[in-house]
Amino acid sequence: MSASERELFQRLSDAVVEMDEDEAVAVANEVVERGIDAYRAIEQGLSAGMERAGQLFDEEEYFIPELLMCSDAMYAGMDVLKPHLRSDEVAEKRKVVIGVVEGDTHDIGKNLVKIMLETSGFAVTDLGRDIPPGRFVETAKEIGADIIALSTLMTTTMEGMGAVVRQLSEEGIRDRFKVIVGGGPISQGFADRIGADGYAVNAADAIRLARSLVAPAEAAA
Amino acid sequence: MRRDQMTPLERLAAYGAGAPVDRLPCVPIVGNTAARVIGVKVGDFRGNGALIAEAQVAAYRLFGYDIIRIFTDLYTQAEAMGAKVTYPEDETAFLAAPAIDDLGDIDRLRPADPYRDGYLPQHLEAMRRAVDQVGNEVAVTGAVTCPFTNASFLVGADKLVRLMMRAPEKVHHLCELSLQTNIAYAGAIIDAGCTPSLTDAMSSMSVISPRQFREFSFPYLERLIDYIHGRGTSVTLHICGKTAGIWEAMVEAGADCLSIDNDADLGEARLAVGDRVRLMGNVHPSEVMLQGIPDAVGRATLSCLAQAKDSPKGFIVASGCSLPTETPFANIHAMLDTVRAAGWPARTLPLP
Repeated sequence: MSASERELFQRLSDAVVEMDEDEAVAVANEVVERGIDAYRAIEQGLSAGMERAGQLFDEEEYFIPELLMCSDAMYAGMDVLKPHLRSDEVAEKRKVVIGVVEGDTHDIGKNLVKIMLETSGFAVTDLGRDIPPGRFVETAKEIGADIIALSTLMTTTMEGMGAVVRQLSEEGIRDRFKVIVGGGPISQGFADRIGADGYAVNAADAIRLARSLVAPAEAAA
Repeated sequence: MRRDQMTPLERLAAYGAGAPVDRLPCVPIVGNTAARVIGVKVGDFRGNGALIAEAQVAAYRLFGYDIIRIFTDLYTQAEAMGAKVTYPEDETAFLAAPAIDDLGDIDRLRPADPYRDGYLPQHLEAMRRAVDQVGNEVAVTGAVTCPFTNASFLVGADKLVRLMMRAPEKVHHLCELSLQTNIAYAGAIIDAGCTPSLTDAMSSMSVISPRQFREFSFPYLERLIDYIHGRGTSVTLHICGKTAGIWEAMVEAGADCLSIDNDADLGEARLAVGDRVRLMGNVHPSEVMLQGIPDAVGRATLSCLAQAKDSPKGFIVASGCSLPTETPFANIHAMLDTVRAAGWPARTLPLP
């Protein structure tokens, strides 16, 4: 990597950490103009910056407002770079269906997990909030998802997570998907009880969990 | 099993004065679980003050806890200011859409009139009815969703937290409008013979930083509490999730009692601010109260006692947040029974 590439990637990363959308767009344009590989600019620039932001969040330097602003800068840069990705770089991502279960519209936690999953190289289909169990299952089948990620903040809606797992079992396709759960009232014990594949306590943990769940298949491939 | 010797009002008055009591005060925070006590659907509470009162009074009589709290969901005031709330047939209501979609409409927002807007009049009716029925023996409180949290329901949480960085004056405007609603509603609650009970979910360190709390939440909380104190009433403040970094500020805002969430450490809170405010908390509402067995509730309750029973300004054994609707009655009884068995001064060793 040339010094100028390294400098551009660093500036992209910094633009994300400093929540500077304009700078992210300007540097992304420079990457395109100079014919530098868009894939590496995303990986080593924008995503690297978002990972730094995630670390600052873990360290309680950044909170949810900062993290969302960082992600705005990241996505602004991505919008510039994505059209310049080579087709062979786009195809191979692991797929996740994510959403907030029916009866709940708290989606900040879900949005953070989505951002961090995308940053970590997953292709994420975001169904949004207040989603009935059937739609998670249908969408997962439709796109051939690896992981179904369920979120809720409310104790009243936790049981909807169990309904997703049950429906998968009833349709005989439980082993085709990994189901992960998270949110305020959720615990490892609850995840075990409903037969989910994993529980994550926060966004960073969700990434570790998602990576570990798809890793064995990757090793076998 | 031991029986209570004092009414909740007698107990809290004696406890506050440092006089002997039969047991420590205990408040499993019962919300829509009250519907299960009288066998109605949660959705039936919508706009029905008489039914909310009937259920809350019946729940109090069944369990014998120390404070009745008229509460169905966090959105009552935002709804009265134009937010859209969905009422499932038998589950807790949730926010369907904020009051405004377009920030250009921000000037259309007005503070709510508690005697006219949304279901605020019905909630006030529930408070008056509860006071009529049992006000001579137990304190009745009315839940107030505080300015910063209410503001998030006016524009949406995502939008609000971005505005904090991009257009802070708009956040202040939304908090000011919410404060005006809060003050009018708190005044009406006091006029109904009740005490406002403050809830501020979004002001949590699980969402915003202590510095952002200082800037966007604290000034409005302080003014709200000043108003309530001016009416001669003390007040409890609950902030969900992580709060250790803002306990000092919560005390400085004037709260008389901090309700500590299960995501925060009760023992640390006792050391940090127990010399200045009463504490309540913090048995886990879902992991222990909803999903646990009565023995687990007993252990969790004793653990809270061990951490805070000697807190200088007093301690109320409580759940860390509102209880889930389907919390088993046996678990609520178990919390009270554990506190009864511990007696006063509270013993914390498991009893035979």
